[in-house]
Amino acid sequence: MSFIEIDNNKCKSCYLCIDVCPFKLIKKSETIGKTGQNIVEFKDENSKCSACKMCAMMCPDIAITKVWKT
Amino acid sequence: MQQVYSTPKSIKKDSTFTFCAGCDHGLAIKLVAEVLDELNLRENTIAVASSGCSVFLYDFLDVDCIESPHGRACAVATGIKRAHRALNEEKFVFTYQGDGDFASIGLSESLHSALRGENISVICINNTNYGMTGGQMGPTTVLGQHTTTSPNGRNVKYHGYPIKTAEQIALCDGTCFSARVALCDIKNIINAKEQIKKCFEYQKQNLGFSFVEILSSCPTNWKLSPSDSHKKIKEELSEIYPLKVFKDIKEND
Repeated sequence: MSFIEIDNNKCKSCYLCIDVCPFKLIKKSETIGKTGQNIVEFKDENSKCSACKMCAMMCPDIAITKVWKT
Repeated sequence: MQQVYSTPKSIKKDSTFTFCAGCDHGLAIKLVAEVLDELNLRENTIAVASSGCSVFLYDFLDVDCIESPHGRACAVATGIKRAHRALNEEKFVFTYQGDGDFASIGLSESLHSALRGENISVICINNTNYGMTGGQMGPTTVLGQHTTTSPNGRNVKYHGYPIKTAEQIALCDGTCFSARVALCDIKNIINAKEQIKKCFEYQKQNLGFSFVEILSSCPTNWKLSPSDSHKKIKEELSEIYPLKVFKDIKEND
């Protein structure tokens, strides 16, 4: 089960990762971040994540700090 | 379990980028850091930051940095490179500038560094305005673009034409590499990293002035969302500023 780690303090809610995920596993969360907007969260209930790391490559603030592949 | 991605080592630990949400400056700095890691240059690098949004480089990159006066980054880099060469120390020197800094205020320093074939690398971020001071019209503002100092859009009769930096630098005989890349999608990000790597490798091989212009978004001053500004780069700006390699002296080898 591959997964990513998101640093909530670094996310600035630009939502570029939401557009780039091929399986739409990243969504807006209920948590309010430092910029006053909803930050993103990673939800992978059906173990679809393939660790393509496109979200990590696209994140301009390095908020996606680690990608794990199994 | 295997870790396939981690924060580049050349980025300072626990540093948070101070750019606006969705700004491509963060992406560009991340790519530079990744390339410095891959070429193992971190301990031997001196980065030259300039004025503008690029000024914060020393807060994020874990390399030696020097701050230069507005527009004079290429001149400062020349001094550093030559002084270290006189001491028989080979340092890797690169500058990280914005378009207003490189192509307007420091045009003379930049162009003459290229003409001298100075052995430095230059990363120039082109976001078509002066981002830090509030989105004034810059040298690269495209025709018809609305900015705070061109509220009716840039028009040819009054403001003239925008400068195409990568093409101009490619015309200089001292240049060994000149390319324009964008960061609007994954394909372009991978390409951008390749070109930045090539740009840095050419300096290691003492081939001359190497230059990469990065077409970057400025969501705050364009008044668009981050994904819309990437769309704008992909559909509009890449037509005006073509994304390709304009000069590569090793191409025919």
